[in-house]
Amino acid sequence: MPIVCLGLNHRTASVDVREQFAMAEGQLPELLEQLCKTTEATEAVILSTCNRVEIYAVTDGQPPELLDAMRDFLLDGREVEENVFYEKIGTDSVEHLFKVASGLDSMVLGETEILGQLKAAYQLALEHKRTGGQLNKAFQKAFNTAKKIRTETQIQRGSVSIANVAVELAGKIFDRLQDRTVMVIGAGDTSEKAARALLSRGAKSVIVSNRSFDRAEHLANELGGKAVQFDDWESEFAHIDIIISSTSAPHYVLDRKKLEPLQRLRRHRPLLLVDIAVPRDIEPEVNFLEDVYLYNIDDLQAIADDYLRLREEEIAKCEAIIRAKVKELFVLLNGSPVSCRENPTRRAAGESPAVSPATS
Amino acid sequence: MNWSDKAYFCIAVTIYGIGMVYSIFLWRKGFRRDDWAVYGLLGIGLVFHTLAMALRGFSLNQCPITNLYEATAFIMWTIVAGYLVVGVWQRFRFVGAFASPLLFALGVFALFPDMDPKVDHDYSGALSSLHKALLLLSFGGFGLSAVGAAMYLTQENDLKLHKFRAILSKLPSLERLEAAMAKLLWVAFGLLTAGLIVSTAYLHEEKGVWFTADPEMLWVLGVWIFYLVLLVLQTRHVQSGKRFAWGALGSFLFVMLTFWGVYLLSPLHQSAAS
Repeated sequence: MPIVCLGLNHRTASVDVREQFAMAEGQLPELLEQLCKTTEATEAVILSTCNRVEIYAVTDGQPPELLDAMRDFLLDGREVEENVFYEKIGTDSVEHLFKVASGLDSMVLGETEILGQLKAAYQLALEHKRTGGQLNKAFQKAFNTAKKIRTETQIQRGSVSIANVAVELAGKIFDRLQDRTVMVIGAGDTSEKAARALLSRGAKSVIVSNRSFDRAEHLANELGGKAVQFDDWESEFAHIDIIISSTSAPHYVLDRKKLEPLQRLRRHRPLLLVDIAVPRDIEPEVNFLEDVYLYNIDDLQAIADDYLRLREEEIAKCEAIIRAKVKELFVLLNGSPVSCRENPTRRAAGESPAVSPATS
Repeated sequence: MNWSDKAYFCIAVTIYGIGMVYSIFLWRKGFRRDDWAVYGLLGIGLVFHTLAMALRGFSLNQCPITNLYEATAFIMWTIVAGYLVVGVWQRFRFVGAFASPLLFALGVFALFPDMDPKVDHDYSGALSSLHKALLLLSFGGFGLSAVGAAMYLTQENDLKLHKFRAILSKLPSLERLEAAMAKLLWVAFGLLTAGLIVSTAYLHEEKGVWFTADPEMLWVLGVWIFYLVLLVLQTRHVQSGKRFAWGALGSFLFVMLTFWGVYLLSPLHQSAAS
């Protein structure tokens, strides 16, 4: 009894197609029941997230016939291009399940949210008695594999967003963020995101300074912080630990000459400066001051790129773990791996070759 | 099997050496892995090290700190034992990677010829052992703090130069490292102060004076003043962060490089050992 998988995801279908197939959680029990009644599926789990809709099923009959029936079930009269669906049978379907659980098939490589969604989908099918020996073992193994990958590889480490890199840097300098004050100079989108990320990690408060005071006040209100006049931002400097600057000023807003006496005022506490403005707001020379750590947009981007490279390097390790776990599962199921159905036009569409990090 | 204490000590130093080699691997990998391997190695090393010191202690019938070999072994023991305590916290486990090269260097130094002369013990008793033990324990504490300083400087340098490994490494944050360094220095300074007080009492008991211009006594006093200044400046935020780390590291290197010379120049201690 092979396990089969039919689905579509962010690689094979655009959002306007995916939204047609999205299933509300409340509908799933009924859909599961319908699937088992109208097809030869003896066990089934439906996974529906914003990036994918997938059905994992087991049949006593012929896998290709079940896949055709599942396709009709999913289409339900809708008309979409043929190649939005991918089909997998036997080892391929299990391997795909393990990749999905581990975040290797996700838009953001290595993300963990999908594991929770997969667990919820499985739990729902289990509660409605739509799973049996095969899928139970396969899903348990998938969760186990995801855990192993999370602990033994670095696939989930780090962030590819500039805001989160800024948070990680803060964590390397400050013992805790709870009693830290962040200053945002220039209320741009990226600096707002970085400030939000720092606040979500527990930063005590945020001070916003912007040429347009209204904009500063608006952002300060949104972030639960305080707005200061652009010409007065230095007056707050003694309490600041992290500065995120993104003004459109054509000159340096902060230079070494200005910062040196301010550092004495701060009693030489460490200071993290994140300059995401182009042209730059902070003179590069300030990085030579003791206890001052300056990162500009290129430095942050380089770190984000390094993270991406690191994750790509980890993929080989993850795939080796997955292959070993798939073998273990088939030994457990006492069956030999079933080969894939030859259907290049359909399969090629959903194939995720040596998972590459999504860029969109 | 009837091994001498020196043989056990050699095994311990060899294990510290293996730890040092593994530390180079960890350093090249950017301190990304959890450092259980070095923790385990130093733990095993400490067992042999303790055996060596215990055997020596039983053979002398007193605390085994009668010559330079024993004194160095005692300082090393303090560093390893201290590390095994702080290394329980995952964030500080990498102290071992920085400590093992120091331990190996000290171990090789202790095994130099003529470092372990057989001495006749004119002076013995509780105060004799106590003053030496307290002073050497404090040096061990300074050593551990110097290891923390090396970690701080590595992390600080990586952050300043925007190295990717600054983010990837599992080293503690700069603030936590500085706080740990300061705490260790205060503890070691307390031990040094207690050691100085007991030394003075011991001197009075043996020679009837509270102070003598012996090179080692002056040296210990100098070290005490230096660490006091370092700690006061750090507390007052005059010399914190990188400067404090250099201070802690430099002071310990000074202590280690001059300790043996001053010991040999000290008539007070040489007469005690003759």
